[in-house]
Amino acid sequence: MSVLTICAVTNEAVPSSALEALAAARHLADALGGERVQALLTGSSVTEHGASLIERGADEVVVVDHARLETLDGELVLAVVEKAVEEVSPDIVIFPHTDLSGGHVAPRLARRLETGIVTDCTGFEVDDGAIQWVRPVYGGKAMAVMTAGGPIQLATMRSLAFEPMEADASREGDVRELTFDLDGVTVAVPIVDTIVQEEAFEGPSLDRADVIVSGGRGMGEEKNFEQVKELARALDAAVGGSRPAADSGWVPHSHLVGQTGKIVAPQLYIAIGISGAPQHMSGAGSAKTIVAINKDEDAPIFKAAHIGVVDEWENVLPPLIDELKQE
Amino acid sequence: MHTIVCMKQIIDPEVPPHLFEIDAEEMKQVRGTHPLVISAYDEVAIEVGLQLKEKTDGKVTVITIGGEDTVESLHQALAMGVDQAIRVTDPAFGEADAFGKAQVLAAAIRKVGDYDLVLCGRQAGDVELGLVGPFLAEELDLPCASIIANVEPEDGKVRMQRSVDVGYQVLETATPFLATVTNDESNVPRYASVRGMLAARRAEIPVWSAEDLGLDVRKLGLEAVQIRIDELWIPEREVECELIGGETGAEKAKNLVEYLKQEKLI
Repeated sequence: MSVLTICAVTNEAVPSSALEALAAARHLADALGGERVQALLTGSSVTEHGASLIERGADEVVVVDHARLETLDGELVLAVVEKAVEEVSPDIVIFPHTDLSGGHVAPRLARRLETGIVTDCTGFEVDDGAIQWVRPVYGGKAMAVMTAGGPIQLATMRSLAFEPMEADASREGDVRELTFDLDGVTVAVPIVDTIVQEEAFEGPSLDRADVIVSGGRGMGEEKNFEQVKELARALDAAVGGSRPAADSGWVPHSHLVGQTGKIVAPQLYIAIGISGAPQHMSGAGSAKTIVAINKDEDAPIFKAAHIGVVDEWENVLPPLIDELKQE
Repeated sequence: MHTIVCMKQIIDPEVPPHLFEIDAEEMKQVRGTHPLVISAYDEVAIEVGLQLKEKTDGKVTVITIGGEDTVESLHQALAMGVDQAIRVTDPAFGEADAFGKAQVLAAAIRKVGDYDLVLCGRQAGDVELGLVGPFLAEELDLPCASIIANVEPEDGKVRMQRSVDVGYQVLETATPFLATVTNDESNVPRYASVRGMLAARRAEIPVWSAEDLGLDVRKLGLEAVQIRIDELWIPEREVECELIGGETGAEKAKNLVEYLKQEKLI
């Protein structure tokens, strides 16, 4: 048996989601009895990253390097992955559960190959050589073990479910190019433009912040949300929002924390006026310490938070901001 | 433009966790007395279809797989402004996995015939695999745009926006095509009007059987492949929440800051 993992690179760095998928592939291959892990590395001028994938768990790296892969185009990535699967003929293919891979490439590949797929997995169990995929369902209110069968097992891994492996320079493996005439591939839904948007808030980005301050429905209206931002500024934190906050336009959707938004894992997560719906906690639940400020002591957030303040935000936020500003 | 929206009805996902129950034999949520609703991203897809109808003087057809209890959701879709609702039904359809469901929807869409685009929510609000839309594109051999938020007609083609880390991508394609839809500020679903609701109750909703669709229910899905749930459980939450004391908000704020400093969190 062999495991193939997919690593699509668009800028200088290998995305963390790809290193997590590689780690999942490594753990799975080991659980199956020391099977081989191959990594498909795709992008434009990406071959140099091959060695780092070996260091982080791959036994072999197969590279498809092409100028057309500079933008993240699901159609091109699908064509490349389909070709690589044909060449490498793996038994298992592990993708990161990104919009591109989990929402587009992996499902379509499964249908084309007429094989099983389970998306958005947080883990797996190996029982007598058979793989069962573990994943949340019903917005995180329940967990399921799923199987799909078929000639090749496809799975996509939820962000932060696995930690990237430590780089180990003593690991050895080949990096080889896969020839594939990507010039001949026509794309039915081309990307005609990429619009770069300025960050909506100053301060660190959600992905990297040590501290995140998020507000939810309980903030009531847009002008009140300023207080959430003010607290974030005082703590040099990133700003997030729950789905009601994003749907109301208080934060852009790019700052939505939750199952279908950003999945984050800061040291400190402060949730204000957030009830703690499972869909939100799927995104915030990996935070090391969660502080909840909510007037409703029965709110589900207090079942997920480590530290709670039961009060109206109006009573707590202004003195909290003052207190922190004086530091 | 004629938009076909595939819609799934689910048990209201807003049911709070303490009322959420599962049937570990049937491997699904217990219906109980909870309301049935249109799955959130499918409702967003209906909104995108209705906006396109307004821009192009077009029409919207909604298709669902399900029994008579889906009529309430079909009425809601009609009341929002959908022109035609169709229900396809067979006991075997409900048991089918995403491969089988995509085959059923593909057969129904072929029977509708003349369409420009098919919209599906990016994932349903229950099992959330997000497979039916991309599978359906493959079944119908249509170009597929995934996780887009809006559709703008432009010079005989359409343009769509997809959110990415740095901002968004603009995608372009010709009709017919399929897209899976996510939500953003531009596509918050409209409310069904009372007048619309009254008219919807009088609307005729065709019901198509497996036979009408020319489907052999014994051959739904893929051979030797069955995406299924083998175990289902409700995870225990083990977090102990420490409440910060204080008479006033100011006192609580002060105590919170002290606590966070003591724990070296700030």
